[in-house]
Formats: sequence, C-alpha cells, structure tokens
Amino acid sequence: MAETKHSGIRCVIVTPESTILDIRARSVSLPLFDGQRGVARGHAPFIGRLGAGEVRIVPEQGAEGGPRLFFAEGGFVEVGHDAVTIITQRAIPGDKLSAAEAKAELERLRSAPAIGDEAIEERLKAEEIARALARAAAHAR
Amino acid sequence: MAKARALDRRRRSVRNIRKITRTMELIATARFKKAMDRSIAARDYTNRLAKILENIAGVGAGVAHPLLEVRPTTRSAVLVLTGNRGLCGGYNSNIVRQSLALLGQWRSERVETHVAVSGKRGISALKFRGIPMEERYTNFEDKPEFEAVAPIGRAYLAAYSAGEIDRLDVVYTKFESISRQSAVTEMLLPLKAPEPAGAASGPIQLASQEYDFYPSAESILEEILPASFLSRLFKCFLDAAVSEQVARMVAMKSASENAGGLIKDLSRRYNRARQSQITGEIMEILGGVEALKQ
Repeated sequence: MAETKHSGIRCVIVTPESTILDIRARSVSLPLFDGQRGVARGHAPFIGRLGAGEVRIVPEQGAEGGPRLFFAEGGFVEVGHDAVTIITQRAIPGDKLSAAEAKAELERLRSAPAIGDEAIEERLKAEEIARALARAAAHAR
Repeated sequence: MAKARALDRRRRSVRNIRKITRTMELIATARFKKAMDRSIAARDYTNRLAKILENIAGVGAGVAHPLLEVRPTTRSAVLVLTGNRGLCGGYNSNIVRQSLALLGQWRSERVETHVAVSGKRGISALKFRGIPMEERYTNFEDKPEFEAVAPIGRAYLAAYSAGEIDRLDVVYTKFESISRQSAVTEMLLPLKAPEPAGAASGPIQLASQEYDFYPSAESILEEILPASFLSRLFKCFLDAAVSEQVARMVAMKSASENAGGLIKDLSRRYNRARQSQITGEIMEILGGVEALKQ
C-alpha cells in the first residue's frame, strides 16, 4: 500500500524484555500451533497461536546476510497487511542454539519419572519443546 | 589546639563521606539509565499484546475466562516489592507502610493472606512487625529478568485457577516520571476485561483490519491472558527497579549537597578556632614581654 518501493514485509520479533529483530523480509516461515506456515507480502491478516519451533526469515533481496533462524517457544503472531509481528516469551537466535544441550535436556526429561496425569502431560509438553529445540539447533548448523 | 584539631578531623571524615555518596550517586545514575532503557524496551511487548486483546474483544468473542472472573475475596495474595539495599531515601519505608495498610485492611476483613516479599529491606521490616511471610525473594536487583519473574507469575496463575487465592495485589513503586514515583497497590488478579478497540480509537479503524484467528479467538484469548498477566507483573518489577535507582540517586545527591554545607560550616568554625588560638598565643607573648620590661 503505502510502501510501494518495498516488495517485502516488515518482520518484528518481540519478547517481554526487548524487541530483538526488526527487519524487512521477503518471506517468513512461522511455527503455528499445528505446523509451519509461510507468510509473504499480501497474506490475509490473521492472528495465530504459535507452537514451539523455528522461525525462518528470508531477508529482502539486496540485504546482506542469508536467511535468519530463530527458535520461538509459544506466543502469538499477528500478520497485518505489511507486517508480521511475532510475540513470544522466549526467542533464541539460531547461532546461540546448541544441539548437544537440547539433546541432553531431552534425555533428562525422558529419564525423570512423571507420576499422575498432570505431571505426565507437563512432561510431554516439555519433551515436545526440547525436541523442537533440538530440531532447530540441527537446522541452524 | 585541641578544639581546632577535632574540627579538622571531623571535616576530613565528612569529606570522605561526601566522596562515597557522590560515587553512589554516579553509580545510581548509570544504573538508572540502564534500567530505564530496559523498561522502555519492554513496553513494546505489552503494547502489542494489548492490541491483540483489543482486536479479540472487537470481534466480540465470548470474553469469559477464569482469570477474568471476579470472586468474593476470602483468600488474598500480596506481593511486596522492595529493594535489597537501603540508602535510597523513603523508597523502602514507603512500600512497607503501604503494604502494612493493605495487610491491616485484609486482617480487619478476616481475609486469609498469602504474603510474598522481594528485597531484604522489606523482608526484615515485615519480620520486625511479626508478619508471617510465605515467600521471600532476594534475587532481584537492578536488572530483573523475565525468566526469573515468570515462574513466580505462573505460580500465582496456578493458585488463582485452582481457587487457592481470589485476588492478587502487588505493592510496588510506580515510576511516573523522573521526578515522581509513588508507592502504589495494584490489583493484578483477577484481570480486567479487555476493552474493544472501537471504544478508544473510533469504529472506523476497527473495520479497516479484519483478522482471522487460528485456531480461534477463544483459544488465543486463553493463551494471551496469562501472557498479558506475566508481562504486567514483569513491568511491576521493572518499575520497582527503575524507581529504586532514582530514589537512591536523589537521596545520594542531597546527601552530597548536605555534606558540602557541613564542610563549609566546619571550615568556618575551624578557621575561627585557629585564629582565636593564634590571637591567644600572641596575647600571651605580649603579656610576657610586658612582664619582662618591668
């Protein structure tokens, strides 16, 4: 609309402590609650719940650097006409992810006993997050 | 000589104290700037969450959620945010006074209270008054981290959902501007129901952006309410940290100024004492000379 000279969309990642990313992107791939979803310019506006997974951002042509990868753990995404805003409680940049650490965490969760329905459910959720983290770490390299 | 020397010694010690207070003022200033930057950076998250909430309220999704439901208060939780260190003027004592008033009110209404206190100063002040505390935190300094605040908030959310508490009040120092911070009691639970966007910004804006919701507005609301509670709680911690640094800055500034005045006064008295001593000695010599002449 107003931004005719740009072909991409604005991509913003906000965490409770600060805004960690604010760039123009060609496309963004988001971990929605039920799977990855790609967003490019002109996508219909929506507000969605995020699951744990990786956010992949392909910067606009001409911008330096390759695709950026973040790990986001839950939260929301707001897709407007010209902007994607990711609101999450935890976002880790791809280069700070460690596959070994994620695997160790997964092992720890698997070996810890969980008794009762709630504990089991909680453990499954934590395992899901740890697995997504390990996956993202493997992709980051 | 004894009096002049004593004055000089006092002057020297006041000078040393002034050096310390001046340094503390500078440190507080630097910390305040950092804390302020963090607080500003955190504002974005809260604003964006609020915008989504407005949008959800705007589409008229059934805004009913356990966290929004107001129950008669029979069990209440109070979280008191003070500093770990003193030397910051009335910062800690204002909070303690405010929290005592609140606790007194709950006691007179026979409401069971769960008290949690952050900061060594508040802990010792409430312990002195014989108030039982269920939780004590001393790990929050001038840079509270979300990762550290979130577990506390989640515990309150769980307790509220389970019906263990009917209300949560936070007593903290709200940062209004650099020259104005006030001790306030804020109710964080139950949450206030979100207002539709149309109420504030006119109905035209509401129609311009129609959002789809995945999976549904209700499901997003379910997730976003705890998130917005956590961010508000985090903001209380940030505000308290910023206010503490401002309070210390102001207190140390006035202490340094006061020391300056004291030094001036002591110098004047020292000079006068020294002068009168010299005069006395001259008088003695002159007296001796007069006595020899005769």
